[in-house]
Amino acid sequence: MTTLSNQGKIDISCWDGTISQHEFHTAASAFAERWNKFNAALPQCSWVARPKSPYLSSTSKESCGGGDDKEGEEELSCSRFQEDDFIDGATMLQNHDDASHHYDFHVVYNASYRVPVLYFRAYCSDGRTLVLDDVEKSIPAISAKLLMLSKWTFITQEDHPYLNCPWYTLHPCGTSEWMKMLFSYEPAVDHGGVAVAKYLVSWFSVAGQVFGLKIPFEMLSSIGN
Amino acid sequence: MASEPRKVVVHLRATGDAPILKQAKFKIDGSDKFVKVIDFLRRQLHRDTLFVYVNSAFSPNPEELITDLYNNFGIDGKLVVNYACSMAWG
Repeated sequence: MTTLSNQGKIDISCWDGTISQHEFHTAASAFAERWNKFNAALPQCSWVARPKSPYLSSTSKESCGGGDDKEGEEELSCSRFQEDDFIDGATMLQNHDDASHHYDFHVVYNASYRVPVLYFRAYCSDGRTLVLDDVEKSIPAISAKLLMLSKWTFITQEDHPYLNCPWYTLHPCGTSEWMKMLFSYEPAVDHGGVAVAKYLVSWFSVAGQVFGLKIPFEMLSSIGN
Repeated sequence: MASEPRKVVVHLRATGDAPILKQAKFKIDGSDKFVKVIDFLRRQLHRDTLFVYVNSAFSPNPEELITDLYNNFGIDGKLVVNYACSMAWG
């Protein structure tokens, strides 16, 4: 159970590591804004809220050119919703080039586990999709199983909830546990709780590590508690 | 500024059911990368997979420099690194 005060804080003294859909929206907006601000060298994130009947946004992810993506524009007008509107979920889009392999990352809220899930797909410059074997070979951390990957999560193939084609995901079953651990020594617990806005930044410091992606420290320190 | 790399005091803290190390405090060159701490933990605990994180709800990339981590997350003259080995499946 998450206690969400008016200030958007999590009371971690009785927290199970999960967040609500609304909190995910808050956290995703904060993440995208800070990523675009502090990660100018990498492709920009765009935050897309999906209504109940999914549609492809105009800022879709097919550009794989990297730095000149104009996806910094956040579709905040779409993400504004009434409290009683039902929204299936939300997606954050990001492109990342790694040599001749292109990676698309989406962060999607999973209502069953109540956590974000990292969806990714990899493809070559000619558009050919990489199979998991190729992905494992090209990502040292996955092939070497050096990280916590094999213990706390594993890669599965799932249908993308909005694009209706198979992507790979980092399975969410362990996420709430390690999120709970991550926040257990957050000093802000003494100051009324931890800002919801921090959730995805912290989450990504773990999930992104699988792919060697770094979180700039400024993304953390810019979130006041 | 001295040309010698500054040493950083690292304090390893066991969390969850991770075993507590006999020697949990040591000094490391600021110019070293975080992977050195991770590898040290792996050897001491005889585990390949560890969950390693610092205060401020952040799991550092192994390529980060110790001095950068200390500058951002150090408290009271030391860098506290938390580690966990396993967790209960919910």
